Amino acid sequence: MSDVIKCPVCGESNLPDQEFCRYCQSRLQPLTGTLKGADAAIKPGQVPTKKNTAELEPILPQWLRDARDSARKSAENDAAQAGRQSQESFSASSTPDLLAGLQSQAGNEEEETPDWLANITGAAPKPKKPQADSPEVRWVELGGAKDFAQEESDAEPFTPSWLEGLAPTEPQSDELTDWFQQTDNSQKSGQPEPQKPPFDTSFSAPVEPAAESGDTPDWLKKMAAESAQSNEALFDDSSKTFDAPSTDTPDWLRQMAAEAGEQTNDPNVPASDASDWFQQIAADDGSKNNNAPVISAGTFDAPSTPSSDAPDWLRSMGDFQDHPQGAVPAPGAEAAGFSEAGFGEPEAAASSAENLPEWMKDFPSIDNEQSAPGASPSWLKGDAPASSAGAELPSWLSGTQAPEQQQAPAQDEAAFGDIPGWLKAAAPQSSVYETPSAEPTPAPATLSFDSPDWLNAFKSIDTPDAPDEVSPPAFTPDSQTSENMDALFADMPDWLSNATDTSPSTSSTLPPAANAEEITPGELPSWVQAMRPVDTGSSARSSSTSLSSDQTLESRGALAGLQGVLPSVPGFAPTSKPKAYSIRLQASEEQQAHAALLEQILAAETEPVPIASFSALTTSRGLRWFLVAAVFAVLMAVLFMGTQIFPMPVGVPPEINGALQVSQSIPEGASVLVAFDYEPARAGEMEAAAAPLFNLLRQPNLTFISTNEIGSILAERFISGPLADSDKSGFQVLNLGYLPGGQMGIRAFAQNPGLTSPQLAGITSLSQFMALIIITDSPDSARMWIEQTSFTRGAIPMVVISSAQAAPMIQPYYDSQQISGLVSGLYGGAVFEQSNGGIPGITRTYWDAYSLGMLLAMVLITGGGLWNLVLGLRNRTSMAGGTK
Amino acid sequence: MVFSPDLIAGVLSFLFTLLIFSYLLGDNPLFRIAVYIFVGVSSGYIAAVVFWQVILPRLFTPLTNALLSGSMAEKVFMLVPLLGTVLILMKVSPRLAGMGRIAMAFLVGVGAAVTIAGALTGTLIPQVLGTINAFDMIAATSRNIQSFEAIFSGAFILAGTIFTLIYFHFGARPKADGSMQRFGLIEMAAWVGRVFIGITLGAVFAGVYAAALTALIERISSLINFIGNFF
Repeated sequence: MSDVIKCPVCGESNLPDQEFCRYCQSRLQPLTGTLKGADAAIKPGQVPTKKNTAELEPILPQWLRDARDSARKSAENDAAQAGRQSQESFSASSTPDLLAGLQSQAGNEEEETPDWLANITGAAPKPKKPQADSPEVRWVELGGAKDFAQEESDAEPFTPSWLEGLAPTEPQSDELTDWFQQTDNSQKSGQPEPQKPPFDTSFSAPVEPAAESGDTPDWLKKMAAESAQSNEALFDDSSKTFDAPSTDTPDWLRQMAAEAGEQTNDPNVPASDASDWFQQIAADDGSKNNNAPVISAGTFDAPSTPSSDAPDWLRSMGDFQDHPQGAVPAPGAEAAGFSEAGFGEPEAAASSAENLPEWMKDFPSIDNEQSAPGASPSWLKGDAPASSAGAELPSWLSGTQAPEQQQAPAQDEAAFGDIPGWLKAAAPQSSVYETPSAEPTPAPATLSFDSPDWLNAFKSIDTPDAPDEVSPPAFTPDSQTSENMDALFADMPDWLSNATDTSPSTSSTLPPAANAEEITPGELPSWVQAMRPVDTGSSARSSSTSLSSDQTLESRGALAGLQGVLPSVPGFAPTSKPKAYSIRLQASEEQQAHAALLEQILAAETEPVPIASFSALTTSRGLRWFLVAAVFAVLMAVLFMGTQIFPMPVGVPPEINGALQVSQSIPEGASVLVAFDYEPARAGEMEAAAAPLFNLLRQPNLTFISTNEIGSILAERFISGPLADSDKSGFQVLNLGYLPGGQMGIRAFAQNPGLTSPQLAGITSLSQFMALIIITDSPDSARMWIEQTSFTRGAIPMVVISSAQAAPMIQPYYDSQQISGLVSGLYGGAVFEQSNGGIPGITRTYWDAYSLGMLLAMVLITGGGLWNLVLGLRNRTSMAGGTK
Repeated sequence: MVFSPDLIAGVLSFLFTLLIFSYLLGDNPLFRIAVYIFVGVSSGYIAAVVFWQVILPRLFTPLTNALLSGSMAEKVFMLVPLLGTVLILMKVSPRLAGMGRIAMAFLVGVGAAVTIAGALTGTLIPQVLGTINAFDMIAATSRNIQSFEAIFSGAFILAGTIFTLIYFHFGARPKADGSMQRFGLIEMAAWVGRVFIGITLGAVFAGVYAAALTALIERISSLINFIGNFF
């Protein structure tokens, strides 16, 4: 499956020539191309190329420069304060030396000496030059305002003075030895600092040397201070073994030994100010030899017996010195350290041979073989080119060129457990050990866990090409976390990495960093290289097929001017599955109970509330049947029996009297217009009311007309019914039938009856009729006839025979004298019938039933009212009693 | 046995009366059958009446006569009702309903004018004059009505009219507690007006009951008479 590319997003396989994933459309070919040369990805175990970053300072973003400036100022302030207070403890809040190496790159000769080294040697620190804090100053961190100018002229500003001796280009300037000698001289000349712990100044530089401490990282300051105080224990009795220059002991160690020898005799040095393990060492040495000889440089006094206070690396070094000689240190030689007891007794070394790192085991071999001339140790010689590996180089420096150093077991990864983070980050950058050593060294039998961590780190890096085990990569993708990146920037000074840069052309040939655009893509700073992805095996295969040749030039930000430094997908692919977050609401039981209560409240609000029925207003079926039975029983009984119990009405109301007068005033054979405008349901009442009136007319010429469709047949019924039963004969009846148009029809008929009805030919006006009789059960019908005929009828009388229900509405027309008479209901017919000579008619048949029905109604209404009154009083009483 | 029309009419009248009375038991099919028959017969009868008494003698016959023997003016004049009828029939179709608006506008306009004019001249003005004339002693004397009686009657009618009108005056002011209440005097007059309205409605109810009772008596009497014919 090497011909396919797996999408880093969806994981689907795609063809190698595809640029985007065909499933998720994610980019398969990164925008950045295959990195080559200096831009090539870092292989596992490969140490990034150290670059001079001083020229990049001007192009740093303003915020970074401000941050560094503030950090520098705070560091100065802290150092000044600490110097005054002479703090002894290691200050964990060390000022960050983000780009501490810049100062070393740009410093002059005087400032090249680190403070901690000056403290070690006891030399009086030179007053720091006042730094102009003008806005034009563009120095960063510890650099001065003219650092970059000096950097242009100075070909070697990046190498710290104490490591300049490592530079192969300047073999003559073994400044490390020089300043050790200077420190020795200064120590001898006076101005000892017994009150100040040797290692105190590491993180808080004294006031005076603060000016020079800018080149020195704090941790080194602290270590230097500690070493300066405890050097009497560390380097005692080393003159025997490392005093000769022919040995591998470097000069600076010898200087330190000499210095320590003097300081040991100085009773003013407080033992309590030194670190514990140094104190222990000093105590051990002091117990054996109060006038312990000053140990030469390169000697490492380690107790032969494991001491809890002594660092492992010191003990290991003690063993390491003895191991090649095959001597086992004595178990009781606790204070031997690197003294004669430590190195002279083979049994002590044999006992600790297992704890010795392999690379440290090379020390005695180098010493014995005397293979590397000069003072440089053999393990450092690798950094120096062959041409420059002169006699000035210490043998231990020349030893770094031994190829066997690169074959150190890669399993030293385990040794990183004791290495602080900043050393872990710094270890792979130490290219001092990058070059394989020229001298083969035997493979170590065991790992040394007792050696100092930082030495283990250096050692582990020197052996990246272990045959059996693969060295852990210096920077793996996992190590590129923010935490590690911070450690890289915070704990790894550039000057330390630059110290391993043996190529003088790197710094000397760099163009001035005046313009960021002039920076070539290949000149990546070391810290940028550290951020680059590690070219692992799998990623290398995939990137070889997926990486494109995109060399995007960064134009903004901290990476401005750099090209192809941001790899695409492979370096930034998610390394782990994103954490799944549950969307389920996390509610406690109390919250759930509250939610349930709220739901119940809402449900109760939305639930319809039944309205209480008013049962008192409902019709009682029993009462209804009782009323029906009572009315029917009374009426049927009366009608069936044909009783005439109730007398006919005697009095004549005015409206009936008016109708009576009209009927009596109509001449014989006069034309009378009769309008039948009632419903068939009222036919019994209307016929009973109208029949007596028609009985009073004397052979009239009746003309029937109706404004509703049923009226014509009702007229026929009236003609064939009441009129036929009448004793009077000689009626001439003309039924005009239905008069359409409602009020308009009435008005038209009133204006010209003959035109509307052809039967009335010759009658052109309503006034040609002798009387107008309106038989209606509706007040509206009576009102229409009254209104529409008011201006055409003239003086002809108009009598309205209405139903009892319409009489109250028609009565005002009689009161206003718009109509001549009003006969309403059975009562009006009965009055008319009484006025007709007492001839019993239909009204008499109905009168008893009508009277009983009316009486029954009055009784029932009155009884019902009283019953309701009683119920009301009872309820009120009960309510009053309830309230009491 | 000879089934005379009177007998058939009597039997049908008896049956339908019983069917209508069955409503005392509630809504039932017998009652519905009687109602449907009455509605159907009435509709048929009305249609026949309208055709034979309206359309034929008032539209077709004059139009035919005008077309056959009428002058051009008579023909055109007789076409106007026909055109109005056709336009009103257009309202059957929703698409052509707009064409019937002219005829309907004519009918509504003429009907409104006739109604308003009749109401003013036949009811409103005469009723106002009648209320005023209630205090006319001369008119009362001519009608043989005592002056005291005439004044009392006129005052009663006037008071009833005024108080009834005041009752329908619903103007009110907000009280301090936010409730609305009419002015005290108006409230009292409205209460009196409510009494007059009650009396009027009582009289109307009595008239309705009297009319219904008379109709019931007539129906029971007809049933008794129908049954009595067989005995």
